[in-house]
Amino acid sequence: MNSILTLDNVSMTYYTKKTRTEAIKNLSFDVKQGEFISVLGPSGCGKTTLLSLISGTLRPTSGRILLDGAEITGTSTDVGYMLQRDHLFEWRTIYKNITLGLEIQHKKSKENLEHCDRLIEEYGLKDFVRHYPSQLSGGMRQRVALIRTLALSPKVLLLDEPFSALDFQTRLHVCDDVYAIIKKEGITAVLVTHDISEAISMSDRIAILTARPATLKRMHRVGLGHVATPLMRREAPSFSAQFETLWKEVAADG
Amino acid sequence: MGEYIDKRHESFLKKNKRHKILVLTAQAGVLAVFAALWEISAALGWIDPFLMSSPSRIWNTLAELYADGALFYHIWISLYETILGFVIGTAAGTAVAVIMWWSRSVREVLQPYVVVLNSLPKIALGPVIIVWAGTGQKAIVFMAVLISVIVTIITMLGGFMQTSPEKILLMRAMNAGKLQIFTKLVFPSNMSTLASCLKINVGMAWIGSIMGEYLVSRAGLGYLIVYGGQVFQMDLVMACTIVLCLLAGGMYFLVALLERFMVRWQS
Repeated sequence: MNSILTLDNVSMTYYTKKTRTEAIKNLSFDVKQGEFISVLGPSGCGKTTLLSLISGTLRPTSGRILLDGAEITGTSTDVGYMLQRDHLFEWRTIYKNITLGLEIQHKKSKENLEHCDRLIEEYGLKDFVRHYPSQLSGGMRQRVALIRTLALSPKVLLLDEPFSALDFQTRLHVCDDVYAIIKKEGITAVLVTHDISEAISMSDRIAILTARPATLKRMHRVGLGHVATPLMRREAPSFSAQFETLWKEVAADG
Repeated sequence: MGEYIDKRHESFLKKNKRHKILVLTAQAGVLAVFAALWEISAALGWIDPFLMSSPSRIWNTLAELYADGALFYHIWISLYETILGFVIGTAAGTAVAVIMWWSRSVREVLQPYVVVLNSLPKIALGPVIIVWAGTGQKAIVFMAVLISVIVTIITMLGGFMQTSPEKILLMRAMNAGKLQIFTKLVFPSNMSTLASCLKINVGMAWIGSIMGEYLVSRAGLGYLIVYGGQVFQMDLVMACTIVLCLLAGGMYFLVALLERFMVRWQS
């Protein structure tokens, strides 16, 4: 399989008036087409910075990031971004939230709107298109946020702790929901999280980062691809052993 | 069971309604008692009606003003000045806030001036305004604008700057430019800021127009109040003050209705 996303010796340094912070140092890894990768690391290790670099909202200090063979030099609709909260626009209806990206891109063509309609229908949002976000539950809102991102047909989807604002019950449910949609649409995903069980239950591979400046400590292969859903993976025999290993590795850096 | 719940619901609604009626009655009652005490005190000579006026004298004054057409003439003049000041002040203040949001340099350069102008009692500029804008309505509208514009800049800019940085990041990740970020995110997310700004400005514009009329005018409610004070006609002063209360209250009520429309997505 081909790599769709390649990080090649990426470093990122922030400058402020008084300090200079090395957030990421010589980070390299590949993500294959259709793969689900999690990035796990101690808090404040530069995980969100990594996603900003891939999304093109930040440029690396050195190194290159390639998407489908081309270097990322700015934001593009090839990369979709899902944040910690759903960040739906409260003053827009669900339909207008979903088509926000197309509206910004001036790409509200018949074809693209049909793609939106298919997603809306397929993922059970048809009855809510005229509702406002405040009328939806947390899990439903997160689904709308995902569909809003998918409406732009991204090649890679970035997820920045997208479930952290939800309560535990909802989180497990939404996790399954989002996973199923991503797999069905065949999208490559990079999830940033500090939740080890979430990482194991969703990913094919897990990139474990060191404390700041973040660099790749180890690439962990989960090997639960044969189990259908994240929730079922939590029941898998090797789950707790993997958890143990990863927990020690992440905790070692504190 | 269902019926039981319905009954409880019914009694809950009834209780709510009773509470509302109670509050409304009490509100009307306070006014009635106050007016009655005032009238009686004046009639029995506990207070000097020449200095303190009384509800009946106020009523007669209003009737006289209405009869010779003066009432609506003066109301219209004050209302015109206030609304003009309100609209210009809000629009200009919002426009300046947009520019200051847009450019960090402009924002940082203007910040101290805005802060100083905000603390300055605008009435101190009275003589300047008279010299610049003359002694007509222009000066009064100018005063109303001056008072509402600074507070509008501060309130709107504050709202704009507080727009969620994550939402801005999301827009940028969708390839949005600065203009789109403003029109699709920053401005619509500040509808409630604008609404509260409008509410503040109702008060500000009235302060400006009445103060302006104190300074320069030959007509309007502010003029009548000053005139009444000078010739010791407290009935006139009180009558105009009450009309002013009604107008300002009515305008606030309209703005509150507008607010409901502006943030109709909040349910």
